Amino acid sequence: MERLAIVLLDSSNAVLVLMLVSLGLAIIFGLMNVINMAHGEFLMLGCYALLALTEAGLPFFLALALAPFIVAGIGLVAEELLIRRTYARLLDTILATWGLSLFLRQGMVLLYGPGSHAVAVPDVGSVDLFGTPYPVYRLIVMAISIVTIIATFYVFFRTRFGLAARAVIANRTMASCLGIDTRRLDRITFAFGSGLAGLAGAAMAPLISIDPNAGLGWMVPAFLSILVGGLGTISGPLAGAAGVGAVDSLTAAFTSPVWAQLVVFTAAILVIRLFPNGLVSRAKREA
Amino acid sequence: MTSLTRRTLLKTGAGAALAATLPMPALLAAEPIKIGVVQPFSGGLELFGGQAKIGLDLAAAEINAAGGILGRNVELIYEDDKTDPKTAVERTTSLIRRDKVIAVSGPITSNNRDAMMPTLSRAKVPLLYATNYEGGGCDRYLFSFNTVPNQELEKLLPIMKDQAGSSFYLFGADYVWPQKMFETATTIIGGIGGTVAGKEFTPFGVKDFAPVIRRIQDSGAKVLVFALPGADGITFIRQAEELGLLKTVKVAFLGFGELYLGAFGAGKAQDMWVALPFTQAIQTDAAKEFVAKVRKQSGADTPVSQYVFTHYVSLIAAKAAFEKSGAIDSEALVNGLEGIVVDSPTGKVTVGKDHHVTLEMFTAKTEGDGMVVVDDLGQIAPKSGCA
Repeated sequence: MERLAIVLLDSSNAVLVLMLVSLGLAIIFGLMNVINMAHGEFLMLGCYALLALTEAGLPFFLALALAPFIVAGIGLVAEELLIRRTYARLLDTILATWGLSLFLRQGMVLLYGPGSHAVAVPDVGSVDLFGTPYPVYRLIVMAISIVTIIATFYVFFRTRFGLAARAVIANRTMASCLGIDTRRLDRITFAFGSGLAGLAGAAMAPLISIDPNAGLGWMVPAFLSILVGGLGTISGPLAGAAGVGAVDSLTAAFTSPVWAQLVVFTAAILVIRLFPNGLVSRAKREA
Repeated sequence: MTSLTRRTLLKTGAGAALAATLPMPALLAAEPIKIGVVQPFSGGLELFGGQAKIGLDLAAAEINAAGGILGRNVELIYEDDKTDPKTAVERTTSLIRRDKVIAVSGPITSNNRDAMMPTLSRAKVPLLYATNYEGGGCDRYLFSFNTVPNQELEKLLPIMKDQAGSSFYLFGADYVWPQKMFETATTIIGGIGGTVAGKEFTPFGVKDFAPVIRRIQDSGAKVLVFALPGADGITFIRQAEELGLLKTVKVAFLGFGELYLGAFGAGKAQDMWVALPFTQAIQTDAAKEFVAKVRKQSGADTPVSQYVFTHYVSLIAAKAAFEKSGAIDSEALVNGLEGIVVDSPTGKVTVGKDHHVTLEMFTAKTEGDGMVVVDDLGQIAPKSGCA
């Protein structure tokens, strides 16, 4: 029983982390129609931003709070220089952002070398949960993820910006006709999505190897979450992430990581076959 | 067909006249011995490729400074295989066809080696492979200058049993090297009266190892035999430390070396064990002199791992083989290498009839920011799987 509780806790941790990773991707993909192949690299930049800030002597949690803004800034520059030139050409966004991902990865090789770096886990100790000492930092990461998800929902459903953003998702041309500055919205949205990736990277940095390829492992599960969950909403990818993360983590817990990968892909194929629009699909009005 | 004009006639004529004035025999005599190097300089394993290059560059510089091999200098031609088998084959083919190399050094991964071998075999160009691998690479044109599983495991596992306990958990990446390592490990563990509490593999790219770590904790194993190289291995160890696994198991980290130092954070990942043919922590005069030579050439902070050492030794052995055969061509190299004994910074290295090496092995463990050598295990012969 206690064993099961710990497994479920580990699994929730995996799910919440994947949700945090998928959230930024979902916003950029859903809102802007940009298939962002560089999302993993923004995550990797979050790790390095945390590394740079802690090495500069900042306390860990201050660095963690600042890192997303640095990555959002880089996202803003990327949007201005590259991404905005590819809007309305879905396939070109793949090529452009893939190029961007190579650029960022190689840039980090030049700056920090190809080797691994480490940021120490902040000294927050562990608490006894279900008879097992559980690292507090993992609980903090889970809390960060929950707060971020709630904040994102708040922004999109309770603010003027969110209203305009959802109008653009529903019908970009009409929103533009009604006087919504879609250019400004695109800029903010891309920076926001990049910042979320940066936050995910920074939060995970103490638990993984920080290297130029750190973002790669997240990309497949994140895209899978979006495909499974469905496009055009924020709740869809989150439901997808919950499904992908839980199936992966629980299968790994009860069998092995090799089986976990097989089961996740098989389940994803089934879901996409049975629900082509995803688990949570937006009610579409007939044109 | 272009017609012969006065202008082209003048050009070719002038060229021919110029060439005739050059001392041709001298040019031929000074023609360098070309050895191709196919290593990863991008694509994920560039750290390993970089270490190989450091060792080869040092060996070539020493050989050339001492008058070359049979009066000819060594020229290394580097190619980047991008850690990718297809690219490795393309580069190998171009080295053989265009550059007419006598031998090829490299690569790192078994995938790339297996992909390159048919091409090399067909062209009868020997491969000087200097990465520890799973064994079973038997070919007239393949020479291995690093260890096979028994050399790393047969002394290390009994030591781990004495240190921590007789229950072993085997965990590694899901490809050929860990699979073969664990086959050998299982045999050895059975032979010393230990038990295998569990054996499992993981795909690359996994970011959350909590399920595996819990399972290892639940198994009650005392020793973790660990074969997950690169960034994923670092991620696993960091999470194992965080979840408290390293307090209850002692880790035998197969393939560990200087390249991992600094990746875990200060004071982390202590007391992880490895058996290996070289580490910069060896305190003998010859080893310290070797490390000093490498750092003089490549910078004072250069990590000097076993890969610097084995690649260095492979070229030194090639020189000895050419001199033994008294000729410089691919067949002379193959014939010369068989059975040759060369001196290395750690002692003698013997190339067997099976094209694998008997060499001095050491146990080392992580301590503080670095590694310390625990014991000199003496010369260990390879069980290469080749008759």
